Amino acid sequence: MNIIGPDKLIFGVDDVEACRQFARDYGLAEQGEHSFVALDGTGIEVRSRDDESLPAALASGSMLRKTVYGVADQATLDQIKAELETDRDVKVLEDGSIELLDDLGFVLGFQVTVRKAVDLAAERVNSVAQCNRGINHVGVSKDHKPSIQTLSHVVYFVPDPVKAEAFYEKRLGFVTTDRFTGVGPFMRPAGTQDHHTLFFIGTPPHMQGCEHFTFHLSGPTDVMQAGTNMVNKGYQSFWGPGRHLFGSNWFWYFKSPFGCNMEFDADMDQHDDSWTGREAMMGPDNSQAFLLQYREKWAPAGGPPPKA
Amino acid sequence: MNKIHLGAVSDFNDGEAKGFDINNVGADTFFVVRKGNEMFAYVDICPHYNDTSLPWKRHMYLDNQSQHIVCAAHGALFDIEDGYCLQGPCLGQTLRKVPIEVSADNDIWIRLTTIEEFNL
Ligand code: FES
Ligand SMILES: [Fe+2]
Repeated sequence: MNIIGPDKLIFGVDDVEACRQFARDYGLAEQGEHSFVALDGTGIEVRSRDDESLPAALASGSMLRKTVYGVADQATLDQIKAELETDRDVKVLEDGSIELLDDLGFVLGFQVTVRKAVDLAAERVNSVAQCNRGINHVGVSKDHKPSIQTLSHVVYFVPDPVKAEAFYEKRLGFVTTDRFTGVGPFMRPAGTQDHHTLFFIGTPPHMQGCEHFTFHLSGPTDVMQAGTNMVNKGYQSFWGPGRHLFGSNWFWYFKSPFGCNMEFDADMDQHDDSWTGREAMMGPDNSQAFLLQYREKWAPAGGPPPKA
Repeated sequence: MNKIHLGAVSDFNDGEAKGFDINNVGADTFFVVRKGNEMFAYVDICPHYNDTSLPWKRHMYLDNQSQHIVCAAHGALFDIEDGYCLQGPCLGQTLRKVPIEVSADNDIWIRLTTIEEFNL
């Protein structure tokens, strides 16, 4: 099934104004009354938790109310509808998208993707033999504004990761790229080569919800600059910056008023069906190649500091 | 002096929280919440991983209505009065309460021995 990836995450939050400001400071652009979007049109919708247009909340209290996937075309949408109508209710909404519950109770939407073709160039890196950036192009500047390219992935806490994996694989055609033993799989839908658009972490049922979500940036420099901007605005880092092993993506996670972490990520591995999945135990050593910690700007100078 | 002054009760609005970094480590190590005329203090570590702080921004320890203490990482909610986790990953666990003193003239104090004991 030609599902491309998440188009939109819909939240019902406690503090709408705080979330709106957070989304702006993260680097998303406001669109209409409730939406914040990346360059390609994917994004998030921020509503008050008691907004009646929202699907029901999970018992756990998670603020993530719906995950909307973008698919290639109407034929794919029809195919998903036909497949899932066999054992559950599939609603067709006014905008032509469909809505249903997955096997764990998460509300999913599917729509013909909103992703626009835009210039999502990757950061370019020079080496001795390769001048990828081009002659006389500088790599970094203080006032560069990192751009948020596209909605990348969502990580869910789930009571039954085996059941979750089976649903996404058998019913929606997702592929497992790698796995943390006893924890859960990294999965990508058939319409993307990204290492993962979702990852499941097995937890007790009272935790069901969103662990984090993230957008792709153009490269590690943008992740560092975007994260530094957040720190300078007073937001608090949760984990990072660093680089994951599975997926190779650079990361920096921030706590957020969305009731989950919001990450910046870049440079994820790309896979096709010839990829052989790996498996490892989850833990500090397998979760990252390295982990750095923010420090306020500082610089060494010539001599020892002058005596007071 | 065997105690440190944290401010006056009147420095807090009802339903307001503040983080404190008394040793200037660059991050708050505990926070104080005012509920009515009572003050409560907790170590700024979420029991979910026992290793990370709660707020998404400095001093943002409470929900919008100041009903609960919140850990922003995964949305855990805690009772303001006893630090008990009512919802979220650390359900049933408790924030570590820090003893503070409020004097007759409404000043808030923390003992040096408490700072040492809780590594604040
Ligand atoms: S770290 Fe606090 S809820 Fe997860
Ligand atoms: Fe991630």
